Amino acid sequence: MKKRIAAAAAGAVVLALGLAACSGTSSSGTGGKVELSVWTGFTGGDRPGYAQIVKNFNASHPDIHVTMTVQPWDTIGQKLPSAWLTGQGPDIAAPSPDPNAIAQYVKTNSVLPITLTGDGDSKINVDKLAPGTVKEFTYGGKLYAIPANFASLSLYYNKKMFVAAGIDGPPTTVAEFADDAKKLTIDGGTTQSGLVLADNQTIQMWPILQWLEGGDIVDSNNCSAVQTAASQKGLKIWGDLVAKDGISPVGLTGAQADSLFSAGKAAMEINGPWAAPGYKSAGIDLGIAAVPTGVDGAVTLGAIAPLAISAKTKHPQEAQEFLAYWTSKSVQKTFSTTTGFPPLRTDLADDATLKADPVVSVFAAQVPDARLYLPKVPNATQVDSDAYTTMIGQITRGTDVATATATAQAAINKLTGCTTK
Amino acid sequence: MSASTITGARTASAGRAPASPRRRTRWSPGLLFLAPSLLILGVFVLWPIAQSFYYSLFDWTIGANSQKWLGLGNYVALTQDPHFWNALGVTMVYTVITVVLLVVLGFLVALALQGEGLITRIVRSALFFPTIVSLVSIGLVWKFLLDPQIGLVGGLFDLIGAKPIAFLTDPSLALPSLIFVGVWKSVGFAMIIFVGGLKAVPAERYEAARLDGTSRAQSVWFITLPSIRPTLLFATLILTIQSLQLFDLVYVMTGGGPLFATDSLVNLLYRSGFVDYKTGYAAAISWVLFAIVMIISGIQLRLFRYDDVD
Repeated sequence: MKKRIAAAAAGAVVLALGLAACSGTSSSGTGGKVELSVWTGFTGGDRPGYAQIVKNFNASHPDIHVTMTVQPWDTIGQKLPSAWLTGQGPDIAAPSPDPNAIAQYVKTNSVLPITLTGDGDSKINVDKLAPGTVKEFTYGGKLYAIPANFASLSLYYNKKMFVAAGIDGPPTTVAEFADDAKKLTIDGGTTQSGLVLADNQTIQMWPILQWLEGGDIVDSNNCSAVQTAASQKGLKIWGDLVAKDGISPVGLTGAQADSLFSAGKAAMEINGPWAAPGYKSAGIDLGIAAVPTGVDGAVTLGAIAPLAISAKTKHPQEAQEFLAYWTSKSVQKTFSTTTGFPPLRTDLADDATLKADPVVSVFAAQVPDARLYLPKVPNATQVDSDAYTTMIGQITRGTDVATATATAQAAINKLTGCTTK
Repeated sequence: MSASTITGARTASAGRAPASPRRRTRWSPGLLFLAPSLLILGVFVLWPIAQSFYYSLFDWTIGANSQKWLGLGNYVALTQDPHFWNALGVTMVYTVITVVLLVVLGFLVALALQGEGLITRIVRSALFFPTIVSLVSIGLVWKFLLDPQIGLVGGLFDLIGAKPIAFLTDPSLALPSLIFVGVWKSVGFAMIIFVGGLKAVPAERYEAARLDGTSRAQSVWFITLPSIRPTLLFATLILTIQSLQLFDLVYVMTGGGPLFATDSLVNLLYRSGFVDYKTGYAAAISWVLFAIVMIISGIQLRLFRYDDVD
């Protein structure tokens, strides 16, 4: 009998230890130091910039220690929803590079409404953040995330290839852009592509081409706009340039497009600031210019990754302090000069140091003209994968634009719930 | 033999006093040893399986305060979803072609390499090598090799003056390319199974056949194939189940594209569950796949048992 009691007690101890090991990751460390964990998917050339923010925060906040774990976005997408719900997840996370992803976490009450807002470095200066970014993360009047970054896309070009093709400088208008892409294509794209255009597993480049030609994807009612005359015209021009003139290989992922530009097999690419360090280290004679002006003026795509706090964090105050530090003026200035990203804050727009930086200045100058891709559009992820990417894939493989846009229109309207058209 | 043993045991206990109805049951030590495994199996396998069926009856959103009951709504929605039918078609085409190729090639290679010479062993090991490498690694390597711009295969085309072929971005070539890689990876596995089966065939059967003047082809057809029927069944079942679960290669090499040409059922399940967060819908896909695996496995078992001379 005694043996059985001893065995049962041992079992209970093992079980208790096991359960204790499974409890939340957020904890107060020894000596009263608050431990905060952060998950992000920033694996690109901008990674050191985020690591520097964390390092400097830890150095300047003796009572808080932040540990940032960087993992692929896919992995975060798989683990975070259940991790946050069960209280096992990180205190803070960038759930996805897609700003619309935050809506899902708001819906499941997984993210904490941010309240530490106001003036001064110890608070999140919401009124100093780019207005579009705040609106993107506000649901029901509450702010649920801050932008971890805000990137505008620019035109990367290979200066050596431009010289070889007898072109003086980067294109400044959409007509020159199309013309240069053709001139820079050698052997129908077999030897050299004029412009690499990724259409899947990437931050979208095709919306920029549509916007440049006066077209769009959805209108203000979230109804399809791909079938409008302006959209069809733009899709026809650039679709033919790919399908008939071979300016870009078809069906590239973002990583493949980057590889081609890095390998000196493409003359131009539209990309964000995170790509610059890789291209430089690959030895490309690199030029960075603003995206050429479209028929309705300057336009480019803006990309924001959200940074949100778990609703189950044990340290909501400290977590918000970290976000306040992340978005503070001095930190953003350092981050911009380190990574080439435009600053998140409007009060850094005229900063002399950033204006003098050859990379930051190009990206920062385009921020006022940057448009978000499918902002707050219902089922935006599926609109992208099932309708938009499919439509681009069809057009670049030779499908008639009218047919492809008609199919996409039906799919988009069904997904967004548009009923007015 | 066993019947007499039981009888003997009954006889031996016949002289005892009748057992008390309240006598405590003695736990078999075997059951106690099994308990941890059964517990883990129950908690981490059986319970989640049952739970996934429960989820499939709801418009389940992880963490939502309330879940909307749909009954069989997700299953009905599947029948109206063109992506589901496309994924089912992709999975079936991949499975049928891959399994047929693996069984035929695996068997032929096993016939050729069943000896024990040094060269034979080396070739067998070389063929088996891809089996031990993870599908993800193999997918990444082949994705790079098949890249028309910077891959080795593209380079070879370039060398002979031909235009490189976009194997993974051409909708008509992407699935055949995945089938090729899948067969390349698993043919060694099929071969090893068949080599095992071939070695178990008694040599006397071949000697008797040789005395009767049968040709090599007749020996294979009339002696080898019937003799390794259990091996054939095992190989076909394992390879079919493995192929129906096509995901790793798709995820790494094509992401389900181009234009959904390689979008398998498990890839659709993954997308529904972990990208679109439609948990109930994803659970319904998993149960449909489970049903398909069960039905196909049942048919295979039935077919192989049919006409069994034993």
